[in-house]
Amino acid sequence: MIEINLQLLCFMAAALLVVIGLGGMLFLDNIIKKIIAFTLLSDGVNLALVTLGYVEGGIVSILEPGTSAGAFPENAVLIFGPGIVLTNIVIGVSTTAVLVAVTMVLYRRYGTLKASKVLKGERK
Amino acid sequence: MGSIDSLYDKVKRFVTEFTSGKSTSSAMTGYMTGELQIVVFMMILASFFRIFSIPLGMVILAAVVGAIFIFGPMIKTIEDENSSDLNRVLFWVMIYFAVIIAVTLWG
Amino acid sequence: MNESISNLWSIPLFIIIPILTAIALNIMYNRKKAISVTAVASSFALVVISALSPFGFHWFTGHPAVLPTGGYTYRADLLGWRLSLEYYYGPLQQIAIFLASLLLLFVVMISIKSLKKNIGPYISLLFLTFMSSAIVIMVNDFYHMWIGVEIGSLIVAGVVLASGEAVSQKAALKYTFFSALSGAGLAIALALILGVTGYSNISDAIKAMPLSNGSLASILYVAFGFTVLSWVYAGGLAPIHPLKADVYGASFPHATVLLQAQSKLMLVAIGLLLLRVFGTLPFAKEVMLSISVLTMMLGVVMAMLQTDFRWTLAYLIVSHSGLVTLGISLGTVQGIIGGLFQAINDVVYMSVLLLACEGVYYFGRGTSIKSVSGIAKRAPWLAIAAILGAFAASGVPPFNGFQSEIILIQASLNYGMPELAIVVLMVSVTTFIALFKGIYNIFLRPDDALNNNEKTGTPVPKILYACLAALIFITVLFGVYPQLAINFLTEAALKVVYIPWVP
Repeated sequence: MIEINLQLLCFMAAALLVVIGLGGMLFLDNIIKKIIAFTLLSDGVNLALVTLGYVEGGIVSILEPGTSAGAFPENAVLIFGPGIVLTNIVIGVSTTAVLVAVTMVLYRRYGTLKASKVLKGERK
Repeated sequence: MGSIDSLYDKVKRFVTEFTSGKSTSSAMTGYMTGELQIVVFMMILASFFRIFSIPLGMVILAAVVGAIFIFGPMIKTIEDENSSDLNRVLFWVMIYFAVIIAVTLWG
Repeated sequence: MNESISNLWSIPLFIIIPILTAIALNIMYNRKKAISVTAVASSFALVVISALSPFGFHWFTGHPAVLPTGGYTYRADLLGWRLSLEYYYGPLQQIAIFLASLLLLFVVMISIKSLKKNIGPYISLLFLTFMSSAIVIMVNDFYHMWIGVEIGSLIVAGVVLASGEAVSQKAALKYTFFSALSGAGLAIALALILGVTGYSNISDAIKAMPLSNGSLASILYVAFGFTVLSWVYAGGLAPIHPLKADVYGASFPHATVLLQAQSKLMLVAIGLLLLRVFGTLPFAKEVMLSISVLTMMLGVVMAMLQTDFRWTLAYLIVSHSGLVTLGISLGTVQGIIGGLFQAINDVVYMSVLLLACEGVYYFGRGTSIKSVSGIAKRAPWLAIAAILGAFAASGVPPFNGFQSEIILIQASLNYGMPELAIVVLMVSVTTFIALFKGIYNIFLRPDDALNNNEKTGTPVPKILYACLAALIFITVLFGVYPQLAINFLTEAALKVVYIPWVP
C-alpha cells in the first residue's frame, strides 16, 4: 500500500497537468488553444520538478550560522529542482513569446487560427 | 479469370496509382525508385528477425514479400505519413515515446 | 591542497564573443559597413581561437574532486567525484568548433552580400546559432546541455523566420511547438537523473548510477525515453524528420549550412551522452539503432520524391543524420569514430551542395527542377561544385564521404549486423540518384530560355565561389588523408567506450 502524502499528490497533479497539456496540443485545433495547452504542460513539468526536491518537514537549503552540519544534508530540500524551474520558466516564457508572435504573423497571412488549415503538411 | 486483358488492367492500375495528378517523368522516377527502396527496406527489416530465430525470420520475410505485392504501391502511404502536418507528427512522436518506454521498461 | 583550478581561457570566449557580437550587430541594425567589419572580424577571431586553443576544462561551480582515499584534487584526469557544471575542450571539440566557426565565417560573408535589409538581427541570430552548437558540444553537465538545446532550438525558429515566406513561418511555428515538448522532456530527464544520482555533472552521474537497484533503474529508463525524445528532436531524426526537413528547406540555403552544422553537433553531443549514461541499459542501443535506420530510409525515400532541389537537400541532410547516429549507436570504438567522422564530413559536403543551391537562386527562377534548367551553360563552376559535392555525399572516392561510410560499413560488419551495412550502401546509392535527378534537371538539361538569350537574375557573388572552393578542398583533403580528422576523433571514441569520461 503506497502511503498518500503531499509529495505523491503533487506528482499526481503534475501528471494530470502534463496529460491535459499533451491532449490539448494533440486534439485542439485552434493554435492559441494549443499554446495554452503547452503552458499547462510546462506548468506540470515545473510542479514535478519542485515536488522532486520536497522533503517532509525540510528546511531551506541555505547553511546559516547555528545549523548543525550533520542535520543539514538530512533536512535540506533538494536545491537543483527549484533552480531548474527558474530556468524553465524563463525558457517557457520565451518559447511562448515566439509561438504567439509567429501565430500573429500567420493569422495576418491566412485570416484563421485553425491548425488544420494553417499547419497542414507541405507538398513540394 | 486470369486472362491477358485483366493482367494488363492490373499492371496499368498499379502503375497509375503511383502518383496523383500530373506525373512528369522525373516525378515518376522518384516514386518508382522510392517504392523499390521501401520494398527492399521492408525485406531488410524482416531479415533482422534472424537474431531471434532463423526459421521465424524466413517465414516473416516471405510474408512481408507477399504483403508488399498485395498492398503495393506503398510509396503513397509513406509519403502521406511523412507529411509535416503538426498533429500527425505529434501523434507519431507520442507513439514513439510510448514504444520506447514500453520496450525499455518491460523488454 | 596547493593545487589550483586552471580554467582554460578559450572556453568562455566561444560563448562570450558570439553573444557580444550579436548584441553589437543588433544595435547597428542596418549599417552595412560596420556590420560587415564587426561580423567578419569576430567570426575570424573564433576560427583563430578554436585553432590555437590548447585542450582543457572550465568549471563554473563545484568542489575539487574527492578521491576514493578521502583526499581531494583539482586534476581533471583523475577519476574523482566533483559536483560541478563544467565545459571541456578536447580534440573532438576542437575539430567540431573549428569547422563550425569556419562555416560561420563563410555564411556571414555570403549573407552580407545577399541580404538587402535587417542584416544586423539576422547575422546576430547566425552568431547565436554557432554559440548554441559550441555550448552543446563542449558541456559535460546536464544543466548546460539542456539550456544549450533550448536556446539552439529557439534560435533555429528565428533563422527560419528570416526568409519571410509563408512556408518558413509555418515551419518555425511547428518547430517551436516541438521545442517546447522536447525541452520539457529533457528537463524531466535531467530532474530524474538528479533525483536518482544527485549529480548534474555527467561523469559523476555515471559513476553514481544505481544500476543494481531495480526500482531506481526503472526511473532511469524513463529518463532515457525523455532524453531520446530530445535527441530525436534536436537532431531531426524520425519521427520528427518532416519538421526538420521543413526547417532546412524553408530557410535560406546559406542559413541551412549553419542550421545543419548545429543539428549535427547536437546529434553527436546528445548521442554520446545517451551512450555514456544509458549505454549499459538493455535495449538502449537497439532503440537508438532502430531510430537511426528508420531515419536513414525515410529521409532518403522522401528525398527521392521531392521536385525542389532545396527540399531534396533538406531530406538528404535528415537521412545522413541517420548515418551519424548509426555509428554512435553501435557503441564500438570503430563505430563511434565512423559516426563522428561522418558528422564532420556530412557538415562539409552538405555545405558544398547548399551553397551551390544558393548560387542557383541568383538566376532568379527558384530551385524547383520544373522551373529552372541549363544553369551549367551560364555558371559552369557552380555546376562543377554541385557535381563534386554530390560525389562526396554519395560516397565516391576520393572524397570524404567515402572514407566515413567505409568505416561505418566495416563497423556494422564487425558488430555482426550485415543488414546495417546494406542499409548504409542503399542510402549512399539513393543519395546519388536523388542528387543527380536534381543536378541533371537544374544544371545540365538544355534550356529553351537560354537559347533565346534571356538573361534573368543577378550575377553570383565571387565570395560564394571562394567558399565553395575552400569547402571542396576540405572534402578532398579529408578524402585523401582521413587520418587528419580521425586523429582528432579517436581519443573521444576511446574515452566514451572504455571510461565513460569526458569525450
